[in-house]
Amino acid sequence: MILDVRNVDYSYKSQKKKQILKNVSIGFAEGRFYTIVGPSGAGKTTFLSLLAGLDTPVKGNIFYNGEDIQVKGLNYHRKHNVSLVFQNYNLIDYLTTEENVKLGGNKNPEILLREVNIPCEDWKRNVLQLSGGQQQRVAIARALASDAKVLLADEPTGNLDEATANEIIALLKLTAHELGKCVIVVTHSKHLAEEADEIVQIKDGNLTFQTDCND
Amino acid sequence: MNSFQLAVRSVIRKPVKSILLFLVVFMISLFLLSGMTSKNASVATQDKTRQAVGAGFLLTENEANRHTRIDKVLNKLGENVEGNLDGVIVEKLELAGGTSWRISTDNSFETLRMEDIEKIASVSGILDYNITTAVTAVNPVNFSRIEDSDVDQSSDILGVSLIGNKKMEMDSNVLSGNVTIKKGRLINEDDFNVCVISRELAEKNHLDLGDKLKFNDYHDKENSTACEAVIVGIYEVKQKMTPYMSGDTYRSENVIFTDLNFPEKADGNTGNPLYEKAYFKVQNVNQYDSVKEAMKKVDIDWERYDLIDNNGNLETMSSNFNDLENISQILLIIVIGAGSVILSLVFVFWMKNRVQEIGILLALGTAKIKILGQILLEALLIAVMAIMLSFTVAPGVSKITANYLVEQQVQQEKEQDLLDEGKVAKPFEESEETVTDVIVAISPQIMLLDVGCIVVLIIFSVGVSGIMVIRRNPKDIFSEMS
Repeated sequence: MILDVRNVDYSYKSQKKKQILKNVSIGFAEGRFYTIVGPSGAGKTTFLSLLAGLDTPVKGNIFYNGEDIQVKGLNYHRKHNVSLVFQNYNLIDYLTTEENVKLGGNKNPEILLREVNIPCEDWKRNVLQLSGGQQQRVAIARALASDAKVLLADEPTGNLDEATANEIIALLKLTAHELGKCVIVVTHSKHLAEEADEIVQIKDGNLTFQTDCND
Repeated sequence: MNSFQLAVRSVIRKPVKSILLFLVVFMISLFLLSGMTSKNASVATQDKTRQAVGAGFLLTENEANRHTRIDKVLNKLGENVEGNLDGVIVEKLELAGGTSWRISTDNSFETLRMEDIEKIASVSGILDYNITTAVTAVNPVNFSRIEDSDVDQSSDILGVSLIGNKKMEMDSNVLSGNVTIKKGRLINEDDFNVCVISRELAEKNHLDLGDKLKFNDYHDKENSTACEAVIVGIYEVKQKMTPYMSGDTYRSENVIFTDLNFPEKADGNTGNPLYEKAYFKVQNVNQYDSVKEAMKKVDIDWERYDLIDNNGNLETMSSNFNDLENISQILLIIVIGAGSVILSLVFVFWMKNRVQEIGILLALGTAKIKILGQILLEALLIAVMAIMLSFTVAPGVSKITANYLVEQQVQQEKEQDLLDEGKVAKPFEESEETVTDVIVAISPQIMLLDVGCIVVLIIFSVGVSGIMVIRRNPKDIFSEMS
């Protein structure tokens, strides 16, 4: 397992009595496409934040390649081990398409932008001038620019129309299966969830593998 | 993409925030430069004033020491003993009420010592010196003095006042510009039995240059020998000289300037002068302080004397411009205080508007300190441009600021003078000199100080506003973003 969650408890600082995650243990492998589903407020995004090293569990540990992510620090984990894609793209507004991709890592931005199907005339444009779907593709290209083996995405198709959403889903699947990365996506979309290799159901603070769709 | 590349892009591509900070830093820098140059201008103006008036030191008798010396002589003489010792005279008086003792001093006790004056005058850096006698009342033998017809003269000694000078050009009245020659000339060191009289006295007695005035001891008008002095000059005053004592003997028009030795002769004290003041003119005003230090090392009994810096005129000007220094100081404190508050608010505004960017950078694994470093770098890039522009504009603005501050003070001084008119006695040395210009210069030191202040202010403000980034959890920032 590239990412291993062991006995993790989590509750908000303001609502310590309400446990969001209860003794969760789960593992994620490279080359697999996972989706996390569950009702609103179930703690999907919180769980993703813990995997991304944006927050720390109240109890328990998260291991990357067998090493606790806190050992080298959460900054290190975010910089080298994981890359993130958000629902609202989160691109830096004063940079061009190409520059945003460069922020993600040292890989050639032109190759990545070609892979995510961004026309070259858009590479030097301000990223906010692109369409929503294009911006999400740029965000994925930025995530792919790093050598991180885990790609975490929070509602990546939430703001997109169906056709564009399908393109993004295809891109994420490709990332998992062709590039061998571990892709973990939080979603409400049934369609996206069904495309995953494995669906993780989050309910009442517990995580369970619902289906092993593609195996 | 490193922090510098990001900072440059942010500065150029987000012009509104850049312009806002640019204007704030520009104004702070401008005010700082104006404050610092005004502070510097005051010093420059002081020096200029000193140069114009002529820097110097005044030597006078120390009053406290005088009393100590009298006590010492009385102890030497013993209790209830008549006598004359070291210039102190003790006389026994038998009066109707009983015996009383009168203690008086003669000129030898009161005078500044010539040997001490000469020792001080030999100090390197002293260009010239003058000795002025005490105001000596004498009887006018062959002319009439100016009198106030409404005043009962029975209590007056009916005399005129003599002031002897080694070099009249360095008399405090002449140095201040209050006394000027209307006709003839000033008295020189080589003159002997000469005088300079007031325009009023000359008009009343129809006197002119070359005429001779006779004086004798007013204590014995009938029998004392009359001394003659030739009139070599006629003076006039801008402001009447303050009388030494009450009575027409001492009124401004009856003051007659003479050569140094004449008053003692006319007073019947030949060979026993009473030198009251000595003025030492400094060759180079820039060496004023070092000359003063050298003077203090002269081996004389300094307890006998007071050494006064320059004259009343300079004191007035100095205090005036020291106020400018204080006002400049206050301006600087206000600018630094207000600047740090405004800059902190600007950076808080920056941080608030850049929560998303900060969140993205955190998600990409950028350390918080590096994010703050990028913001600091952006601020410094903008500050460099703002400071450079302020350097080009500052000379003009500083000049206006300094002139305004000086003008305000001069105006304030004038208003105070008007309020004090008729209530406060003014020394006759007071000058009517006014400030015509204020010189300001932005030196490299001032520029460096300005840059230093701005950099410290920016670092402080970024630090203060950055606390909100440093203390927050990345997930909280993302929550705020969404």
